[in-house]
Amino acid sequence: MKNIAFGQYYPARSPLHSLDAKMKLILAVLYIVATFLCKNLLSFGALLLSAILLLLMSRIPVRIVLRSMRPILFIMIFTAILNMFFVKGQTELWSFWRFHIYLEGIYSAAFILVRIVVLILATSLFLTYTTTPIELTDAIERLLSPLRIVRLPVHEFAMMMTIALRFIPTLTEETDKIMNAQKARGVDFTSGGLISRARALIPILIPLFVSSFRRADELAMAMECRCYRGGKGRTKMTVTHLRMRDMVALLLMVCFGAGILYLNRLGIGYTL
Amino acid sequence: MATVTLEHVSYTYGVGTPFGIRALDDVSLTVRSGSITGIIGHTGSGKSTMVQLLNGLEKPAEGRVLLDGKDIWEDPKRMREIRFRVGLVMQYPEYQLFEETIRADIAFGPRNMGLGEEEIAQRVRDAIKFVGLDPALLDKSPFDLSGGQKRRAAIAGVMAMRPEVLVLDEPAAGLDPRGRDAILEGVCAYGKETGATVIIVSHSMEDMAAYCDDVIVMANARVFLEGTRDEVFSHADELLSVGLDVPQITHLMLMLKQRGFPVPDGVYTVETAASALRGLLQ
Repeated sequence: MKNIAFGQYYPARSPLHSLDAKMKLILAVLYIVATFLCKNLLSFGALLLSAILLLLMSRIPVRIVLRSMRPILFIMIFTAILNMFFVKGQTELWSFWRFHIYLEGIYSAAFILVRIVVLILATSLFLTYTTTPIELTDAIERLLSPLRIVRLPVHEFAMMMTIALRFIPTLTEETDKIMNAQKARGVDFTSGGLISRARALIPILIPLFVSSFRRADELAMAMECRCYRGGKGRTKMTVTHLRMRDMVALLLMVCFGAGILYLNRLGIGYTL
Repeated sequence: MATVTLEHVSYTYGVGTPFGIRALDDVSLTVRSGSITGIIGHTGSGKSTMVQLLNGLEKPAEGRVLLDGKDIWEDPKRMREIRFRVGLVMQYPEYQLFEETIRADIAFGPRNMGLGEEEIAQRVRDAIKFVGLDPALLDKSPFDLSGGQKRRAAIAGVMAMRPEVLVLDEPAAGLDPRGRDAILEGVCAYGKETGATVIIVSHSMEDMAAYCDDVIVMANARVFLEGTRDEVFSHADELLSVGLDVPQITHLMLMLKQRGFPVPDGVYTVETAASALRGLLQ
């Protein structure tokens, strides 16, 4: 459990780190839209190129980013294979028994693969790697704040998110401790059938729940002692403003989207 | 009866990350069979890491942990047996209680050992006697007890496994003086009656002076001093030099000595101090 890095924030000095979190959220959304606009070889090529550029710009070691992709490797391979075998087209490359592989299938598989990779890469580069969780929740609160008009408790949502994020490492540590304590009393998590393994979790889960409730109670009390009354009339300790660089980034992103649309129209090769 | 030995043990947290911390650095020591040994040191001196190595919750990066001369990692599949032989009470053990009754919770360890009901019931009775828990509490829910009572129940839960080595990490933390004395006395009674080796981790020099035969002082992930209680407390000035505290009475005697009074070294109980001072005055 100790190896679970909380979040993925990687401290570094880079253009991506220095952007305003609000803008990064917007950019991430725009980039995702751009990802889905791509239709042909040219636009997907441009997309992949831009993702690599982003990766280099973020100054996060490529090794770390690749490692975080490992969990989705299976989904990637699975989708790619499905596409390869089940997309029908005109140019048959290879056939065996009931399986036919078409050139279009290969294209489609490659495109989907690029799309998944870029989606994950973009959201993690714009958001989790370069923005601290606190900055992120703050930005979400600011971006959602217009919804207050329709009586949505935006501040409360953001506060809940902040608290949840704050307590992940605490609870991880707590779980670790309780697990060790119960292991010391002879609980065995690694052997036995499914049922006995599930039963072995009871001595972990009950103390964990109890202490979560206790912590929640204490925290609520402590917040009230400091006169917390929800979001009404509350000001921010750090107020961030959009700067020139944020605007430049937005402009670049819009241009990129337009570029993708243009490349789509050139219509070279297979179109998704 | 069991001897615990650490041979050149090192341990690092967060290997391969930029935040790696060396918690233990080439630690070698022996805990005498049947002794009550105190491990003392500042927060971050590696005490808690060390106790988790003793029953195989953590694996040393280098070096060996020996129980009666046998490496506990020799056969990792039999680690459970090691854990029954080396009972560990973690810090704030009251947060691990989970059963519906205190009785069931204390019986949890022995039940995992596969003992018979008769034997389990006997062990539960013995264990609560050691920690001084009222038998009337046995059928209550752990959540109806006070903090001190919960602590005792949790310690009883480990004692009920009758470990040959009982390791307690800060067993008295956060208790009032009376509760602290009661628990430490119970732990010592367990050691005396069953012949088990008892290892108490603490940062209170007073407790060490009052209850332990041997004392191991940890500082900066290494063993700083090791020896009998008399030997260790005769180095009071060295303890102070690494920022560790000494019992208040030792402190007083040290100050008297600095003022030029011919008082003996290594005084750590009020009684010896009183007789020494009386001798001085006459």
